[in-house]
Formats: sequence, structure tokens, C-alpha cells
Amino acid sequence: MSLKQKISIQSILVSLVVSIMTIILLGVLLNFTTSFEPTLGNELLRINANNTKSANAVTSVVTYFRGFDTLGEVTILFLSIFGVGLGLKGFKDKLNIFSYENTLLKIGVDTLFPIIILFGIYVIIHGHLSPGGGFQGGVIIASGFLLMFLAKGDDLNINHKILELIESLSGAGFILIALLGLLVTDRFLGNFLPLGEVGKLFSGGVIPLIYIFVGIKVSAEITALLEYFIRIKDVR
Amino acid sequence: MIGLVVLAIFISMIILAIFTIFNRDLPHSVILFMGFGLGSVVLFFLFSAPDVALTEAVIGTGASSVVLLVTLLQVRPKERKR
Repeated sequence: MSLKQKISIQSILVSLVVSIMTIILLGVLLNFTTSFEPTLGNELLRINANNTKSANAVTSVVTYFRGFDTLGEVTILFLSIFGVGLGLKGFKDKLNIFSYENTLLKIGVDTLFPIIILFGIYVIIHGHLSPGGGFQGGVIIASGFLLMFLAKGDDLNINHKILELIESLSGAGFILIALLGLLVTDRFLGNFLPLGEVGKLFSGGVIPLIYIFVGIKVSAEITALLEYFIRIKDVR
Repeated sequence: MIGLVVLAIFISMIILAIFTIFNRDLPHSVILFMGFGLGSVVLFFLFSAPDVALTEAVIGTGASSVVLLVTLLQVRPKERKR
């Protein structure tokens, strides 16, 4: 078997496309200059500095200016978890959770789990001050639960009913805040809370509240997804 | 100086991508893909997009590779080679 037969045409095509994209990206990078012309981004930054008092402009775009899009994203995530649960529910009793018989992992998880959960909560709560937010912090919390699954295996019983309850309550809270904004300020997801001072924890109006609800919802959903996916026939 | 770092990361990402494609062992491919994601995390951070970098670090390097590896463990060892 020579080298020519091993390498298929498809992989050559994929690598060609990737290298062409990289060359184009390199050309863009080498000509990269920052322009100070009036663009949509500059306009958004100006509105953000005056209106929302949130230190992280990306967060105020995600949850305030384009909050309705975030509602759609959360709905897409919910539907995908719903489909996975519908497809994999029958295998739940036949398969065991994949786990390692590793002493270092079993002892280390007890120390690491609270620290990971604390870091996830920090990322969620400080979403309007520093990089991060509901989606990232939610997945960090779910990765802490993933370590627990790897260490404990079938001893860790996650109640899916409670997870679904938490998830649906936080989704309902998101929509409730949006409707309250509609009632008070005549704008879906409008701000009805005092704005506060830039850089403080209690600032930005409804933005941290929305991101906390998104964080709870995402962490419950990704934990349920990993619990469905990590099952295996026999531990080897 | 930053430009040189970016170029080095770009070239290593291309090499990692080619290794990911041509590797005959699928679990090795997943590990190489995690390395590719790590390079993109550094690039996102250098291009002043820390939010996207955090998302890529958590999802691309953590959650998705675990899901892929556990799925590959359920497949018979013969089918893990291509």
C-alpha cells in the first residue's frame, strides 16, 4: 500500500481549503489597521457608555440591545437538549456512567468541585464587569459536574425532574423580566431598575439579572446533556 | 512582537489541523483537535475578544472533546481506525 492510496481526495481538498482560508486570513491580518470612522460598533459603544452603565460592552449587546436574540439562542439550546433526551432516554437503564477507578481522581474531585462551582458562579455574576457571563459560567459549572460523573460513576444520582424544574423556572424568569420591562418602559427587555455606578457589582439595571437566569438555565441543560451522553456499555 | 507570536500560533494551528485530518487513529485526532482549539483560544485573546476566548476554552476544548471521546469509546476498537 503506497502513500498515494492512503491519502484520499477528500482530505486533500479539505486541507487545500483550510490553507487557502489561512492565506486569506494572513493577508487580512497583515493589512490590519484600526479605523476610527463612525461605524455601528462605535455607535453602540457610545450608547453603552451613556445608557446601560455596564463595564463590559459585549454583555450589554448580548443581553440588552440584542436580548431577543439571546432568548432565541436559549430556546435553540433547550430544543437540542429536548431532542437528545428524547432519543437517549431508552438507553438510560441499560448503560452505566463511564467512570475511572483512579484514586487520585476520586480524592482530587472532592477538593476541586467546590472551587470549580465557585468560579462558575463568579463568572456568571460578574458578567457585566469582566469577560464571561451566563453561557460561559454555565458550562464551567457543568464541567464541574462532569468531573463528578467521571469520579463517582453510578453512585451520583442526578434527578432529571429537578433539573428540568430549575431549567424551566429560570427560562420563565427571563421572560418575566422581559415582560416587566415591556410593562414599565414600553420596550421588550427594557430597563426598569436603577442603573447605579459603572464598575460596581450592583450596576447595569436588569443586565446581571438576565445573565444570572441564563447561567442557571445553561448549567442545568449542559449537565443534563453530559449525563445522557457519558453512558457506556461496560467500563474498561 | 505580537505579530510574530500570532504568526507562530497560526503556523502551529495549520500543522495541527493537517495532523488532525491525516491521523489514522480517531481518539488521537480528537486530542489534536483540542490542541487546535487551544491555539484559537490564544488567538481570540490576542485579537481582544476575551469573551469568545472563554467560550472556546470551555466548550471547544472541554465539553465537546469529552462528548466525542466517550462516543468513540462506545465504538468497537476496529472501527476507531479509519
